[in-house]
Amino acid sequence: MKTFVLDLDICNGCYCCQIACKDEHVGNDWMPYARPQPDTGQFWIRLNETTRGTVPKVRVSYFPQMCMHCEDAPCIKICVPGAIYRRADGLVIVDPDKCTGCKLCPDSCPHEALFFNEGMNLAQKCTGCAHLLDDGWDVPRCVDACASGALHFGEEEELKELIAKADEQPEGCKGRVVYINRPKTFVAGTLYDPKEKEVIIGAACTLTDQASRDSYHVETDGFGDFWFEGLPQGRTFSLKFETHGKSKTIDTIDAAADVNLGDIAMDIS
Amino acid sequence: MRETRGDKTVYRSLGLGGFYGGGAEGMIDVKNGKVLRVRPFRFDEKYDRTKIRTWKIEKNGKVLEPKWKSMPSPYSLAYKKRVYSPNRIKYPLIRVDWDPYGERNPQNRGKSKFRRASWDEVTTIIADEIRRIHAQYGVNAILMQGDGHGECKTIHSPHGQPGLLLDHMGGFTLQVRNPDSWEGWYWGAKHVWGQGTQGMYWPAANIVKDSTEHTEMCLFWGCDPETTPWGFTGQFASRLMYFWRDIGIKQVYICPDLNYGAAVHANKWIPVLPNTDVAMQLAIAYTWIKEGSYDKEYVATHVVGFDKFSAYVMGESDGVPKTPEWASPKCGVPEWTIKALAREFAKKRTSIAHYFGGGYTRGPYSHEPARMEVCLLGMQGLGKPGVHQHQMTYWGMPRMEGLAGTSFFNPEIEERLAIPTLSSIANWQESALPKTLVHTHLLTEEPLRFHGIGSIEGNVANQFMEYQFPIASKEGARIRMMWTDCPCRTTCWNGGNDTEEALRSEQVECIVAQHPWLENDCLFSDIILPANTYMEVDDIVTNVRQGGQFADVMLCDKAIEPIGESKSDYEIVYEIAKKLGYDKQVSEGLTTEDLQKKVFGYMGLERMLSWEEFREKGYYLYQVAEDWEQDSPGWRKFADDPQKHPLGTPSKKLEFYSERLAKHFPEDKERPPSPQWVEKSEMHDERLSSPRAKAYPLLLMSNHGRWRVHAQCDDIAWTREAPTCKITGPDGYKYEPIWIHTSEAAKRGIKHGDIIKIFNERGIVLGGAYVTERLRPGVAYIDHGARIDPIILGKVDRGGAINTIAPTGTTSKNAVGQATSGYLVEVAKVTGEEWDEWRAANPKAFARSYDPAAGLRFEAWVVQEDESDARA
Repeated sequence: MKTFVLDLDICNGCYCCQIACKDEHVGNDWMPYARPQPDTGQFWIRLNETTRGTVPKVRVSYFPQMCMHCEDAPCIKICVPGAIYRRADGLVIVDPDKCTGCKLCPDSCPHEALFFNEGMNLAQKCTGCAHLLDDGWDVPRCVDACASGALHFGEEEELKELIAKADEQPEGCKGRVVYINRPKTFVAGTLYDPKEKEVIIGAACTLTDQASRDSYHVETDGFGDFWFEGLPQGRTFSLKFETHGKSKTIDTIDAAADVNLGDIAMDIS
Repeated sequence: MRETRGDKTVYRSLGLGGFYGGGAEGMIDVKNGKVLRVRPFRFDEKYDRTKIRTWKIEKNGKVLEPKWKSMPSPYSLAYKKRVYSPNRIKYPLIRVDWDPYGERNPQNRGKSKFRRASWDEVTTIIADEIRRIHAQYGVNAILMQGDGHGECKTIHSPHGQPGLLLDHMGGFTLQVRNPDSWEGWYWGAKHVWGQGTQGMYWPAANIVKDSTEHTEMCLFWGCDPETTPWGFTGQFASRLMYFWRDIGIKQVYICPDLNYGAAVHANKWIPVLPNTDVAMQLAIAYTWIKEGSYDKEYVATHVVGFDKFSAYVMGESDGVPKTPEWASPKCGVPEWTIKALAREFAKKRTSIAHYFGGGYTRGPYSHEPARMEVCLLGMQGLGKPGVHQHQMTYWGMPRMEGLAGTSFFNPEIEERLAIPTLSSIANWQESALPKTLVHTHLLTEEPLRFHGIGSIEGNVANQFMEYQFPIASKEGARIRMMWTDCPCRTTCWNGGNDTEEALRSEQVECIVAQHPWLENDCLFSDIILPANTYMEVDDIVTNVRQGGQFADVMLCDKAIEPIGESKSDYEIVYEIAKKLGYDKQVSEGLTTEDLQKKVFGYMGLERMLSWEEFREKGYYLYQVAEDWEQDSPGWRKFADDPQKHPLGTPSKKLEFYSERLAKHFPEDKERPPSPQWVEKSEMHDERLSSPRAKAYPLLLMSNHGRWRVHAQCDDIAWTREAPTCKITGPDGYKYEPIWIHTSEAAKRGIKHGDIIKIFNERGIVLGGAYVTERLRPGVAYIDHGARIDPIILGKVDRGGAINTIAPTGTTSKNAVGQATSGYLVEVAKVTGEEWDEWRAANPKAFARSYDPAAGLRFEAWVVQEDESDARA
């Protein structure tokens, strides 16, 4: 069975997947799998971006979103004329000849991966570039264009080592698109001594989950920075700094999203 | 793959750097005479992987090797949209109210539309105009603007072809392209370390391997490896940065914005205020000198003038010690962070990375941060293991076997093919005008006097030569005719609004533009000639620009027939030459295949394979040299033995104090002999300390475009869907994003997506508010190079062409570079009253034919045959 693995850790946000998909499908007719995609407005693979944190502790996470080629696809179930089907290799296809334009399927998709082409009265989406695979190409265009190697495509068996790293998947149905290294939450900041106007290096920082009492430990680095990464989402923490025989505590940190605590003054004299 | 691959597949460099040195190779599938798809190149398409020797770089058991596929950038992969853009010029055009035999109406340039003309009509008029101008004013009254980046072609090179013809006719005035992307290195760093390459670190062989093995921390000082390399060689730099992360090299970004590299690679972001870096650098030097944490032995043996440099840094010469406390309010970085950076820099083996420089080396006095950086590197033993300045992947990649030049273009190419490119890199005419001063010449009667012509390959000594324009001899002439194939000065150079005024000068009787797209300076011309793209010609490209993973030379067979009546830039010049009786001189009677064979010969490829095999394979893939690992990295030899391996400076050492600058420019307060902080000068008053900052309290940061290569690619419908490329306003117009910090937006009542204006005394530019945490407070950020769309000429631009409000002055008095970042602006919401005022002032500006996806259409500026009022 064909599988996509999307490694979010090395997605550099170049949009080549989104562009290459358009290059392949806009203005080109790939029947029996797809009629041409409209010039703009449809994203059979769409790159989403999220800015996390605040100045100067900021990161950007990119997230390619596409048809998951679900094994229990709601679009197949809802399609009255039976235009949506799964190929033997697992790719889910909307048959343009059978689609009657009833518009039921786009709303049924939990991944917002089905589009409606008003001009052609047709539901459209990612075909996994089935027309290319049938003709001997190794991968779909989005994967071919991925410079960083974040996008993988192949037989499930060939990709099993990567698939084993899969963490929490997008909610919905069981898809043939597997995400790995999804970003989690960070809590970060800089510790400094307001008297000497120096960063504090090597301070022990302990972050404690107020509900579970799980705790995490880092030391401030050469810039006085501490970064707690890979934290579970939506928790509330307390944070304790210990150095030079002194300590300082921040009682409540709401980490509903990533948190930059900024430059924190700590008296160590 | 017969069914889906199309009728044929041809090879291309998808890079947009030009100068016949390509990169970002690609494959174009063609079907029924149309481009079917553009895809990454497979280097093993015609070569057996096991027979090609490749490089390998290792650290901590991790290995980096080339991939067998190229890594083009998104606009390269979307290039089909550029070829078939609604903005393509389909046939020759003449401005409706320009009559070469009657009224010329120069005042209407930028206002009037154009009418369709035939090739015969336009070539006849141009030939007549050249003859008339030559007879009336002399050959130097024609300014040839034929420089800059563009598509990678060799025979049909997009720039400089008119110089071939005009040179045969006795000469012309050459517009000399300044080092627009790296002014600081050129005008500053050269005075510390000598010529370098275009002012940057050189020799720089093998530094990618050396830094991989030895560097512990890399400072990306104003550098964005996820943006600037894209237009030249694609995305290999991105891959290298992930590799460096994996082997534990700390990546510290120092820039006002969390640029695209910082967004995914930074271990630390130090957001500095635009064009204030030199204050922080001086404080770093202060910390090192105070704490004794610099390489004293190296400084003693490799540096001259350290005492004078140190006296300024420590405040002994001016009473102001350049402490972190002094620097902090200037650069906006906390004192403790400056000190921490100074100590980390001293403690860890540190390199500094750039890709030319972006905003960091493009502001007022950009020579100061640039040469101060060289001094800092010098204080930490530049050239020792892991201590280099990187032009990230552009230099320092493994050497290829049999590849003579490892420069960005192949210097062995000669004569007829080299001359067009010469106009981008050298001054080869007696009468020459720096590109930064073109508008100043047109707006002032007095002759211009300046030092240094500023050509990008110019040597250090040239910066001390005094020039005059028009030249002082009897051959001197003011500009009466302009012929441009790089019509983007209004959006890419200094003083854009002044340029819009200057191009309407009565002094200029005829302006000819040749270009594939109807944009920017084309609007200010009298005749427009439709050039075509690389898809439409047979050519050959040397993909030897470093930064990819391989090097190769490829035949680029025509993909499709020319769009409309377009011709290649070379063919256009040839057609005009025919009318003037110079066709044989221009063509030298050589066919395309003759020229392809000449390039094959210049590259010495006959040693590698036969022409027939080359023709059959379509490309030659270089192997890495067997002994590349032995190449001495960067300045290692100088570091080890400065006596035996001296620098090219007068003292043969790093000059922290330049006796040459002291001798030639004793009164220069902007570029004194040692690097300094310059608060203000006669030329520029662009600091937050200025009284102007009351009205314009933000510093503008302008980088090279994420989605453009300078002005190239602003019309690609698919990239314009990216949220950082364009912001769709409530009026349906796609605006250029203007980034402002969340707090600055809140102060001004601006919401993400609002149409806002960015402005100063020099004008107003409209854009879409991009409210973000990716930019520090106190700054407005916008990429340069958006297509102009003037609402009120020289005053209000809707297209987002930020350089229209950039300073008109140069880098400094004695440096004719451009200063197009780091200046004062304010942003605000556009009010209803303003819209009403502008609509009343110029209703036509709001009626231009506009494609909601790709932007302004060709028809926006061309009268249609059914338009009743031809005199629009």
